[in-house]
Amino acid sequence: MQTVEELEQQALADVESALSTTELRDLEIRYLGKQGLFTGLLRQIGQLPPEEKPKFGQKVNDAKARLQDAINAKQEGLKSGERAGQYERERIDVTMPARPWRVGKEHVLQMTTNKIKDVMGGLGFEYFESPEMELFDYNFGALNYPPDHPSMDDQDTFYIDDKYLLRTQCTAMQGRIFEKRQPPLRIFTVGRTFRNEAVDRTHGHTFHQIDCFIVDEGVSMAHLKGTLGLFARAMFGADVKVRFRPDFFPFVEPGVDFAISCPFCGGKGCPVCKNSGWIELGGAGLVHPNILERYGIDTDRYSGFAFGLGIERIPMMAYNVDDLRHFLENDLRFLEQFRA
Amino acid sequence: MKFTYSMLLDYVSTKLTAAEVGDLLTMAGFELEGYEEVNGEPVLDIKVPSNRGDGLSVFGLAREVLAKDSQSCPTDLYHKAVNRFAMPDDGDDGETGCLTSVKIDTTDCSRYACRLFRGINDAETPEWIRHRLETASQRSISLLVDLTNYVMLELGQPLHAFDLDKLDGQRIVVRKARKGEKLTTLNDDVHDLNTQQMMICDASRPVAAAGIMGGLDTEVTGSTQNVLLESAHFLNTSIRRTRKQMGLNTEASYRFERSVDPEGVVAALNRFAQLLAEVVGDESRVQGVVDIYPGKVTCKPVQVRMSRVVRLMGMPVTTEDARGYLERLGMKVTGDGEPFTVVPPSWRPDIVREDDLVEEVGRVHGYDLIPECMPQGSTPQGGALGIYKRVDILRDAALSCGLSQVISHSLRDFHPLDKPNTKRIGPRNPGSPEMAWLRCSLLPCLADAAIRNGGKDLHLFEEGKVFAVEDGPVERKNLALLSTGALAPSHWVKGEVPEADFYSLKGAVETILASIGVKPEFAIGDDPRLHPTRQAAIWAGKKQIGILGQIHPDVAEKVSLPMVTILAEFDVAKVIAASPEKLKYRQVSRNPATRRDIAVLVAKTVSYQTIEQTIAKAGGEVLEKQWLFDVYEGKGIPEGSHSLAIALQLRKMGSNFTDEEANLVRDRVVSALAELGATLR
Repeated sequence: MQTVEELEQQALADVESALSTTELRDLEIRYLGKQGLFTGLLRQIGQLPPEEKPKFGQKVNDAKARLQDAINAKQEGLKSGERAGQYERERIDVTMPARPWRVGKEHVLQMTTNKIKDVMGGLGFEYFESPEMELFDYNFGALNYPPDHPSMDDQDTFYIDDKYLLRTQCTAMQGRIFEKRQPPLRIFTVGRTFRNEAVDRTHGHTFHQIDCFIVDEGVSMAHLKGTLGLFARAMFGADVKVRFRPDFFPFVEPGVDFAISCPFCGGKGCPVCKNSGWIELGGAGLVHPNILERYGIDTDRYSGFAFGLGIERIPMMAYNVDDLRHFLENDLRFLEQFRA
Repeated sequence: MKFTYSMLLDYVSTKLTAAEVGDLLTMAGFELEGYEEVNGEPVLDIKVPSNRGDGLSVFGLAREVLAKDSQSCPTDLYHKAVNRFAMPDDGDDGETGCLTSVKIDTTDCSRYACRLFRGINDAETPEWIRHRLETASQRSISLLVDLTNYVMLELGQPLHAFDLDKLDGQRIVVRKARKGEKLTTLNDDVHDLNTQQMMICDASRPVAAAGIMGGLDTEVTGSTQNVLLESAHFLNTSIRRTRKQMGLNTEASYRFERSVDPEGVVAALNRFAQLLAEVVGDESRVQGVVDIYPGKVTCKPVQVRMSRVVRLMGMPVTTEDARGYLERLGMKVTGDGEPFTVVPPSWRPDIVREDDLVEEVGRVHGYDLIPECMPQGSTPQGGALGIYKRVDILRDAALSCGLSQVISHSLRDFHPLDKPNTKRIGPRNPGSPEMAWLRCSLLPCLADAAIRNGGKDLHLFEEGKVFAVEDGPVERKNLALLSTGALAPSHWVKGEVPEADFYSLKGAVETILASIGVKPEFAIGDDPRLHPTRQAAIWAGKKQIGILGQIHPDVAEKVSLPMVTILAEFDVAKVIAASPEKLKYRQVSRNPATRRDIAVLVAKTVSYQTIEQTIAKAGGEVLEKQWLFDVYEGKGIPEGSHSLAIALQLRKMGSNFTDEEANLVRDRVVSALAELGATLR
């Protein structure tokens, strides 16, 4: 029969020479398990005189504890060695091609529209839509166009019949709102417009516009300039400045053409701005008093501003897109380049 | 309007350079569109707004320069122009009245004046005039024609010179053309005239299209001795109609269509006479002016409040400055108080109400001085609300299903995927046959986009308007989907990439509709564009909201798309109408779920929807969820039947299911299915 010391010596030697965590686990069971050798040793306790029993028990337990510590320490060492081997076997080449996820890509004009909605919505302007196939009166008559205005020509406008046309401007929404609502009003739309035009790099028969207007007490050209300045800086960059130049549109008085300082050269002059330092974006002005009166709005109490511009201009300038026609051709190689 | 800069310097004495004057005009509303130097001389090309006909002349633009820049001064010539180049014989017919007569027989002509010149011989255009015309890219033709063009450029008044000896009766009648009359214009075109068209006629026939172009028969030539010089004023709408009908567009008609100063008619005759006298001597001028003026316009005074000017412009302007600006623009300003009175000049028919003058003051003061301020006052809730928000949600759901968005033209040609039995609509003046019709469905657009991108492994959607005629023209917003080929991009890791089929796009349809709470039902469909036995009509509530199915094999062949191309299209308004307004929260159970699987053998003629509904009914409230996890047919299964493996997930609120309870539910389901002829396998 082995002594406690002998058994401990043998166990520690076995643990020391164990080569794998599996072997170690076997040793642990063999020595420390319920049926293990140390348990066997404890059975001798019955043959001992009563006064030695506690001492013997203590001795066995101390040896077991030391052995357990030795196993735990050995386990640490073996495991990290084995993991290292496992890691080497499981090594992958992280430069191998990804398994791509299929994701839906938003159209760049939609991204532009969303950005506009965020900016104008944040300023308290409510989004509306109105028909693309519009009544003549909303497109022209309600907007203070004199009868026989040149832009009403067949050469400029697509007519469905004598009553309906394809709207030439999103401003056509104004009359529909004025019929249903009273000031204060803050409204905008983004939508599709049509012109009977020859198509080239910068002209299309179909394009998209934002149109926006406000009617409230005390609205002035300064408020128009402030709103356009904020809008332009959100779209084109923090350093952009707004310039007004007098222009004529039947639905505004005063009417202006608004330009932004060229974001490419900062106004110094470059090919994008044709060396002028300015890029013209659209038309704006104060809502014509004839229109307000037509809808029974008191022009001494209320005034309003309106502005509109083609939204294709925004990605064209932001990404240097040189041909308007790309936008509705749906070539995914074109569309997949953009991000919101 | 293109002109040589030196012409402007005849009218304005300024320290500004030509480029600076161009910028100044731009900021006054007359945009500098082109600037070039020809033979060392600057040439400006100015874009004049359509309501500012007075800007279509050097004199008119000079007025704008003087109004904007107080450092610039008017010249003697400017003062003469202001005084209408007055001549001693202005108010009198004199000898002219004996030699010719003018009769106006139409209300479309408000004024007609003429002067006569004799013994012209074949004098040549002075070098300085020819140089100025040619520098501004106008061809020099002959002395008389060059002078009419030069005066028009200077003063904006179109003139026409007739060979007096070729006018029958040596007189002028302004009238509408008679039926059957013809006119050969200077460009050698023969026009059949109609009775709407205003003509300048002699005693017997039309000799010029009024305000548009002269006639060939009466034009001045090298042998012309005696000249009748016309200066007139016509109704703009009449000129526009006639020149459109005749297919002509001239410098004269361009100006008359916008506006010409009716009070400047005789001034132009006089300026012409003075320039001609410098070449051939004043003795060629016949004394007197014939001037018939039935349509004299009065300029209505307009009241202006400075408080309104300042409020609308959003910048301070003093009354003194404002009055100065208006006076420099040729307006008569009277009254000292608030409001004061302004009488606009005859060349400004665009000034009719107070806000027109607000613009004039602001424009001259300078829009650069307007500060940037944000609007004050009430701010309602902004952004996309209500139905517009729901459209945004639907679109985002389509994107999250891995469908890419396309945006296509509304104007297009016919396509095999056009909506059947639809009365189409399109512009009556289409740009070309390829864009003659408004789309009636978005599926042709998606098919085109798919073809453009190679026609395979594509998953696309479009949201947009479609058009048709029903009781009248109608416009609807649709949402359409197309899916074909691999559902995921191919890769090198083992395992097949699943391909799109009816059920994969059905999943997208359900996900998209669920985004706004719409639970669709799928019935057998009969759309002729789709595969006869692989399509569904999508219903929600009591209405059909769309279609879903595999493309019809014939259509697939015709448009070169894969046979397994799956299409869907919805009417967005109907989808939103089926979307519940309110969502109600349902309490969730904390007890664990129990699962029972069943496999039943059933005839294929029994639709899965029937089986699903039967199970739901038999399972009752405790049946939390059921799903089909295997379909088997073939060996061991009778022809015309299939085996369906269905999982039942059971759960109670507040207590756990015992095995016995779960088995009872399963048995209930099985016996209900037995009534459909389904047997347990």
